[in-house]
Amino acid sequence: MTKEAREAIEDVVKDIVAAELRSERDQLTPTTHLMKDLGADSLDALNIALRLEEAFKIKIPDESIPNFLTIGDIVRGVREHQAQ
Amino acid sequence: MITPVGVGRDAVWPALADGRTGITHIEDFDTSKLKTTIAGKCRDFEPEQFFDERELARLDRVSQLAIAATELAIKDARLPESALDSYDTGVVLGTGFGGQRSIEEFCGAYFSNGQGRRSAIAIPKSMYNASSSNIAIRFKTRGPNLTVTTACSSGANAIGQSFHMIRYGHAERVIAGGADAPVTPVVMDAWKEMRVLSTKNDDPGRACKPFSANRDGFVLAEGAGILVLEPLDDAIRRDAHVYAEITGYGATADAAHITFPDPEGEAFAMMRALKDARLSPDHIGYINAHGTATKLNDASETEAIKRVFGNRAYEIPISSTKSMLGHSMGAAGAIEFIVAVLAVEHGKIPPTINYEEPDPQCDLDYVTDGARRFGCQAPLRTAMSNSFGFGGNNAVLVVRELGK
Repeated sequence: MTKEAREAIEDVVKDIVAAELRSERDQLTPTTHLMKDLGADSLDALNIALRLEEAFKIKIPDESIPNFLTIGDIVRGVREHQAQ
Repeated sequence: MITPVGVGRDAVWPALADGRTGITHIEDFDTSKLKTTIAGKCRDFEPEQFFDERELARLDRVSQLAIAATELAIKDARLPESALDSYDTGVVLGTGFGGQRSIEEFCGAYFSNGQGRRSAIAIPKSMYNASSSNIAIRFKTRGPNLTVTTACSSGANAIGQSFHMIRYGHAERVIAGGADAPVTPVVMDAWKEMRVLSTKNDDPGRACKPFSANRDGFVLAEGAGILVLEPLDDAIRRDAHVYAEITGYGATADAAHITFPDPEGEAFAMMRALKDARLSPDHIGYINAHGTATKLNDASETEAIKRVFGNRAYEIPISSTKSMLGHSMGAAGAIEFIVAVLAVEHGKIPPTINYEEPDPQCDLDYVTDGARRFGCQAPLRTAMSNSFGFGGNNAVLVVRELGK
């Protein structure tokens, strides 16, 4: 995957996380941790997964959701599920 | 309290004593298919003053109203942290519709063939006990946490059950009251089909006419009324502002019809409340009526009052504050009980506004010419608050001013 494609995904992921968690989009980096840095809980994680499924037209299996800890994790996860 | 005439006791009480209305045109959704386009919305309530954005996203409007009203009540009661973070502090909240607005959103998403916005918080946001549970989470109250849902008597049942919990030692203090936010497109449409809402849309403030012959139904409203209940000795010992003493609670079921009121069940609830308070009908100096302004309720309630009070029924001032606030369903009984509390405290009876034409079936004294001084029959000013709900639920509370 090209750098541009990865950045495009990251842009959308940041939009979704910022909107769901009411956080400052500019502050989000690939290492931003949803729980530790942004105070998310498991319900937030489920809602973020729903928004990702809608935005990227993918299906995220339940067992993947607990692995979405950082922005970087989510971007990688989306790429994997897009490839499938 | 949070009501269509204001936020907090200092805003609400003067408005009601002045006979000001809180009923306005609905502006936040399309009413073009409805016959009723007016309601009692809490326009002065600014949720942002109580919650951040993430909290707002997690809380249905009913929970926002309930928690904000609780915050006001706790501040007013000057409850110390140690009294809140305690297994001896309970919450009993009445609601008729719970997280109705959220239910409608999630149903909309479900029935839109995948077009709608799905959510992982549909259940925790819309469940009926969301409000009472969120009160516990926010204020750390660890005692019994209950939600009472008996339609329009929910708030009064919640306060009555709390009163008995304290009297019989099941909690040292209870945050008690009611909250409802039922002014939604679906609920308005459903009430429309029952033909019980006023359709006097032209002049919203004059639409709700309890006990008047030309009344044509109630006006739907939202709101929250919350009290901190505790044993009188405790409240005096910690030098709290004691508004009044709750002395009686009576609850009955008509066991007759799901919507049609029965004066017998209503009268029995009033008699039980008097017996619970160890008072006779002679002691009551004011009745805050259920007074919805439907044809059936006002006639039935008048008949029930006559059965309990006999000839004295004609001497007791009776008012319906729904004429100003509309009918906030599960919150109404709590808000109206607080009105009765303030009436005995201030020695003033708020009026029934919009009364125009005498109805032979409603021939008592409904305080239709402005607020009135609370005349005193008994040694202490004592008031009764009536709440009757669909399902045939009747809940009556008695409150008296604090003895000197």
